[in-house]
Amino acid sequence: MLKRLLTASLVIVGMFGLLGPAHAADPVKIGFSIPKTGLFAPAGPSQLNAYLVWQKMVNDKGGLDIGGKGRRKIEFVQYDDKSDPAQAVKIYEKLITSDKVDLVMAPWGTQHHFAIAPVVERHKFPLIGNTAASVALRKVKPGYLWFTTPMMPDNLAKEMTAMLKSRGVKSVAIMYNLLQFASENIQFLKPALAKAGITVKFEAKYPPDIKDMTGMLTKIKGANPDAVLVHSYPGDSILYMNQAREVGINAKTQYVMVGPAIGFFRGMFKSNLDGIVTMAAWTPGLKNTTGSQEFYNAYKKMFKGHEPDYLDSVEVFVSAQILEQAIAKVGLNREKIRQAVNTMTFDTIYGKIKFDGVQNSITPAGFAQIQKGKIEVVWPKQRATSAVVDKGAWAK
Amino acid sequence: MNNSSNSLRFIGIGAVIAIFGGLSGFASEYMLGIGFTLFMYIALAQSWVILSGMTGYISLGHVVFFGSGAYVFVLMWGLVPVWLGVALSGLVVGIGALIIGYPVLRVRGPYFVILSFGLAELVKNLVLINEARMYMSLRPVFGAPSLAQLYIAMLVLAVAATGLTYWVRRSRFGAGLRSIREDEWAAETIGIPVARLKLIAFALSGIVPAMVGAIFIMRSGIFQPGDAFNPIVSFTIVTMAIIGGSDDAPGPLLGVGFLVILQELLWANWPEIYMIILGILLISFVLFAPSGIYGWLSANISRSKKNAA
Amino acid sequence: MDILLSPQLLAAALITGVLYALISLGLNLIYGTMRLLNVAHGDLVMIGAYIAFIVFSLFNVGPLVSMFGAAVICGGLGWFAYKSIFQNLLSNSQILARLEENSLLLFFGISVVVQNLVILFFTADRQGYEYLSAIVEIGDVRLTGARLAVLIVGSVISIAAVLYLRFSLFGLAMNALIQNRDASAVVGINVDRVQMFSLIIGFGITGLAGALISVLEPITPVMGFPYTMSAFVVIILGGLGNLWGGFLAGLLLGMLEIFGVAITGPEWRSVLVYGIFIGILIFRPQGLLGRGKIAR
Repeated sequence: MLKRLLTASLVIVGMFGLLGPAHAADPVKIGFSIPKTGLFAPAGPSQLNAYLVWQKMVNDKGGLDIGGKGRRKIEFVQYDDKSDPAQAVKIYEKLITSDKVDLVMAPWGTQHHFAIAPVVERHKFPLIGNTAASVALRKVKPGYLWFTTPMMPDNLAKEMTAMLKSRGVKSVAIMYNLLQFASENIQFLKPALAKAGITVKFEAKYPPDIKDMTGMLTKIKGANPDAVLVHSYPGDSILYMNQAREVGINAKTQYVMVGPAIGFFRGMFKSNLDGIVTMAAWTPGLKNTTGSQEFYNAYKKMFKGHEPDYLDSVEVFVSAQILEQAIAKVGLNREKIRQAVNTMTFDTIYGKIKFDGVQNSITPAGFAQIQKGKIEVVWPKQRATSAVVDKGAWAK
Repeated sequence: MNNSSNSLRFIGIGAVIAIFGGLSGFASEYMLGIGFTLFMYIALAQSWVILSGMTGYISLGHVVFFGSGAYVFVLMWGLVPVWLGVALSGLVVGIGALIIGYPVLRVRGPYFVILSFGLAELVKNLVLINEARMYMSLRPVFGAPSLAQLYIAMLVLAVAATGLTYWVRRSRFGAGLRSIREDEWAAETIGIPVARLKLIAFALSGIVPAMVGAIFIMRSGIFQPGDAFNPIVSFTIVTMAIIGGSDDAPGPLLGVGFLVILQELLWANWPEIYMIILGILLISFVLFAPSGIYGWLSANISRSKKNAA
Repeated sequence: MDILLSPQLLAAALITGVLYALISLGLNLIYGTMRLLNVAHGDLVMIGAYIAFIVFSLFNVGPLVSMFGAAVICGGLGWFAYKSIFQNLLSNSQILARLEENSLLLFFGISVVVQNLVILFFTADRQGYEYLSAIVEIGDVRLTGARLAVLIVGSVISIAAVLYLRFSLFGLAMNALIQNRDASAVVGINVDRVQMFSLIIGFGITGLAGALISVLEPITPVMGFPYTMSAFVVIILGGLGNLWGGFLAGLLLGMLEIFGVAITGPEWRSVLVYGIFIGILIFRPQGLLGRGKIAR
């Protein structure tokens, strides 16, 4: 914390004197926008931190390998988009036309990807997306944008149903936030469950500013389903974690969508999180991946023992690895990078990745479970680091 | 003010508009983007002044018009020609404002401030529920007109809103509105139809923001209730209008111009602390120029004139 | 609908209501005595939450202790704000003429500065810690220790504060100021002092509430804004400047939220809250317990 205070003070001091040129050599300039203020500001660090870890890892090696012709260090040009998609559009226009960056990387969140899609296409800047997930992304014209996420709602629905079936679940209760990603999941989940013969005993949706879930949870307890599937974001995930324990929800499978993969959340609930299933497809020990342990160690070292967000930070790092490998193959020519991304197979911390159109065609959607305080990938089975287990009684 | 200086002024204004319009042909994309933001907030702040500046009913929920316009527009996206859709969204929202305006405007003072905020939240949540019901919580807007076209459209709205404020301020209608601000009870007693005037002002102040909202989502490429009804937009409108100061057209022009250009200079150069600088500026404004830029300028100009004489 | 009779639901409604009441109290005081639209109110909740979090991470001391520290620090901020800004401001006739607009702008500026300073020093990253997470059973009601603490501390503090402000000498002076500003100066009330203490008390209670909230949700620099707006909804419903009214309106809103949602379905939560708020205002433009036109 003191260190952070010190850096912050330095920034203030720095604005009074001109900051000198950062690198003597000729670095590769890469630009992106980050929500540092506004509604999504709390989600920003998961992304920015992963970019910074990647930058440090690459620069410590001497820089990016430019098509086998020597190395150049990475310099970031980053601006705050105020969580406003229109501001993100303006930032990418500025990065490309006025800052003259060599390459751009992804902004945060699905809506910002949609917003800047026309910009990168107009200027023919390849951009490997992260932190964006919606089936509507597939409607983006293939060309300059790709989406690394395996967490597309239709694939999630398929894998969720398969996992529930493998666990002999006959009935579920569903709760979901009205926001886009959560409700889009339900659109695909319900038909998939019906097809598999799993009954939905209870269903409720709630607005993002919900303050209490006791009513819903009391009804769920009465319905006594085999599994409770909560499609929630960090704030409402906390409500669930507190109030499900109060009400005494004891289903053997409890899924809490976004939250448990983020460090602060595990700090809040510790042993009570054991047995909770969440949306994540990575863990440092994941087999057949490239650089997982190195990424994990570098992240923890850089951020004083904090763990990466197993969902967003991971996906961001994957997109950076893809860019790095494409550059290593063809250099900085953007048209060649585009062709490389379209055709190459990449080795990432998610494992092998190849794009089909705009979409990651190899990595399957998956789930993780907190087991004895650690995050284990439990689904799909061929990637699992541990088998999914029944959620026991709440710890406290 | 004599006739020749009046016509000179009109020629000047016409020339400025023409220059801004002409810029769409060759200015860089980034510059057009700044122009777009500038015109957008001019249109929004001028509309706000028609209701809040003139009547004293401070709306902290003006984003309700902006968001509703965007929503109406996105529902028609692909079904009607783009610019017809923009006009229709203004029309629909204007009619909506007429319907809800009467009961809402019975509430006064700080009660109205928070009520207007609540209204925006209410509409946002209704849209959210409706969209989630159709699993459409995020609607991409593909194939929007070019930035140059959107820039021109926004310029047209900014000019229209400024003209409207200018006209209202000088009309009998505007005089009625200002009598409401001074003392609504007294105005009513002497026979001014305050309820009707307020209602018309409410609807007038909603039409342009609705069209701005429609054009805005073509720029951001996406409609999401949370973005379209973002309370920050309401706060920004109020801030710019008050900093400009006054219930007349030049106020918002000054306030918006100052803040938008300042923000552009700041965020690119001091990304870490530009918001802090901006906040400090807002605070200083209240402390040192409580009647806004326009009020401060007029006070100083009249003082210097007096000194010269 | 036997769920409506569940004591668990009643407890949940009380917790929500007490939090609303506690958070809106300070806002009501500040509006009542000075007519300031404090849109930075929720940022005090945020500051209180950060104080509790920092104290916990550094010294492993929980919010039930650190909340007093948060109250003192936020009260100090109130004192500082009064001395540095409001004392002069409230004697400037040009500002008083447009007090609502100007105070809105002023506090918006303060809110922007405070939020972004916190972002600068701590990043916008979410923070959280575990505290009193074990379940406590009281009859049929089961609550986490932290939520039970919020219920108890919140009720005690808000009721005590309302009683103190209603019956103590200082409270009477404050009430007089709320009722009629000019007359209270005439009868010899030290308006300056009362204003200063209402900022100190108002900020302090809100900081304390923030410390309590730090265990219930992610701690972020932007967590305050929703509290600002719900506090405004509460004090408007209760009638501006009416402390009992605000307390009751807070409880009412909590009940409405929990039971209303149990009847209609959770997706209607916000529609219900804002719809009923607007509906009440349309029929009673001075709020449920408002006393007619507020004197200026």
